[in-house]
Amino acid sequence: MNEIIDITLRSIWISGCATLIAFFIGIPLAYILAYRRRAELISSIIESLVGIPTVVLGLFLYFLFSKSGPLGFLNLLYTPQAIIIGESILIIPLIISTSFRILKNTVYIYGEFAIAIGATKTQKMILILKESYLGLLASFTMAFSRAIGELGIALMIGGNIKDFTRVMTTAIALGVSKGEFESSLLLGCILVIIMIVISVILRIISRGIKY
Amino acid sequence: MSQKRITSILLMIIIFLAILNFIQYINPRKETITSIPSQSEVRIRVSTTTSLYATGLLDYLASQFNKLYPNVKIDFIAVGSSAALKIAERGDACIVFSHAPELEEQYIEKGIIDYGRIIAYNYFIIVGPLDDLAGIKNASSAEDAFRKIYEACESGKTFFISRGDNSGTHIRELSIWKKIGIDPHGKSWYREAGTGMDQVLIMSNEMKAYTLSDTGTYLQFKKEGRLPNIEELFSNDSSLINIYSVYIVRNCSSDLIPYARAFIDFIYYNQRDIIGKFGIDKYGIPLFIPAIDKEKELACEWLKIARGY
Repeated sequence: MNEIIDITLRSIWISGCATLIAFFIGIPLAYILAYRRRAELISSIIESLVGIPTVVLGLFLYFLFSKSGPLGFLNLLYTPQAIIIGESILIIPLIISTSFRILKNTVYIYGEFAIAIGATKTQKMILILKESYLGLLASFTMAFSRAIGELGIALMIGGNIKDFTRVMTTAIALGVSKGEFESSLLLGCILVIIMIVISVILRIISRGIKY
Repeated sequence: MSQKRITSILLMIIIFLAILNFIQYINPRKETITSIPSQSEVRIRVSTTTSLYATGLLDYLASQFNKLYPNVKIDFIAVGSSAALKIAERGDACIVFSHAPELEEQYIEKGIIDYGRIIAYNYFIIVGPLDDLAGIKNASSAEDAFRKIYEACESGKTFFISRGDNSGTHIRELSIWKKIGIDPHGKSWYREAGTGMDQVLIMSNEMKAYTLSDTGTYLQFKKEGRLPNIEELFSNDSSLINIYSVYIVRNCSSDLIPYARAFIDFIYYNQRDIIGKFGIDKYGIPLFIPAIDKEKELACEWLKIARGY
């Protein structure tokens, strides 16, 4: 039971870090993209990357982080940090493509208006981010769910090491290969519950701090 | 794109790297390699075949080892035998556990692994439907059993499920087909699953098909009651011997090699007490037989398998 709690906390920690990093990279990029007039090509490429198979990305990162790979000297392979990097790369396209449309819409509605009432560039940005608040939150929740629910990256570059890089999805996979279907199912239920609870909590917080 | 934007993107990348650095810094379980053994933590990475890891034997061995060397953490990465060796080749593991002599031989020749020790063995088993349509229960040898399965499959009575994933078990299965001069690939009764032993056993249970399995996984699944439709039909033939070996990876960091050696020696000299008794309380029989009493014979068998005699 202790192990299950450990694994659950580790999962939340790893995917939470990954989502935060991806969010702070993805939102500015989406904001820049929302101001470009001919962004359709870029946005369609990014949208297509949303469904990239996690195993493919995991394999790619394995070659990158492996001792004989170009970034081997960082000693990142089979560490939680490697999973964090991998998952953030995985979800950046998701964050950009979901928040891009929302930001673009808000820019369309409020952009000119903000300039008209004499807002500076920073004030305009704050206004637009505030107005697309709920949409960005939804994008954050989706990204977190994708990160905590992915298996390929955690397995390939995390290695499913006990007490170190074992997260919920890899523990579930291992449980299945051990024939312990019940404990795997339990972990699966916890995983889904976490996704829902975090989404609900974010919603409640967002109501509290709006403006 | 204006210069301002480029600068801001660069800035963002720098912030990203800084965050990563910070996360690594606050993470207490950083890899530390020093020569003072009693104080600092050392992590040794071990790539292993899944069948060995899933039984729980390796975690148990590591916990016993930790009683002697509390500062050495053993990290197991469970993959198939061929992937385990591949990871070793790329320098990402220090120790390899494998049960595919054919592959091990190639990697020894390439100079990637050495300090090999045979630590345990058991037998692959042929499992199949309870009514044993092919009649392999009375087969005289593994080859004979496979020939009988072939005949039964050809007459459309049953299926054979292959791992199809280059694992130790899969390689052995292929070598038996080769020995009897049959190429099953492309036959409609020969299903290549491409998954682990667990899924293959469940598949053969559903399809009432024959398959080659390792003892550990089979006993575990049988005990959990997942395999009501199939049972062990043939085993204990010398050509089904399943030899587990452990190696040190040559290009492992020289600071870690003494610890890796210590772990291998610990396993080697405690085979009877730890490996020989593992699983008795749960399954009634030991999952693995210690190799130390029959070392010469096993080395012989190992060579035979490796060279394909």
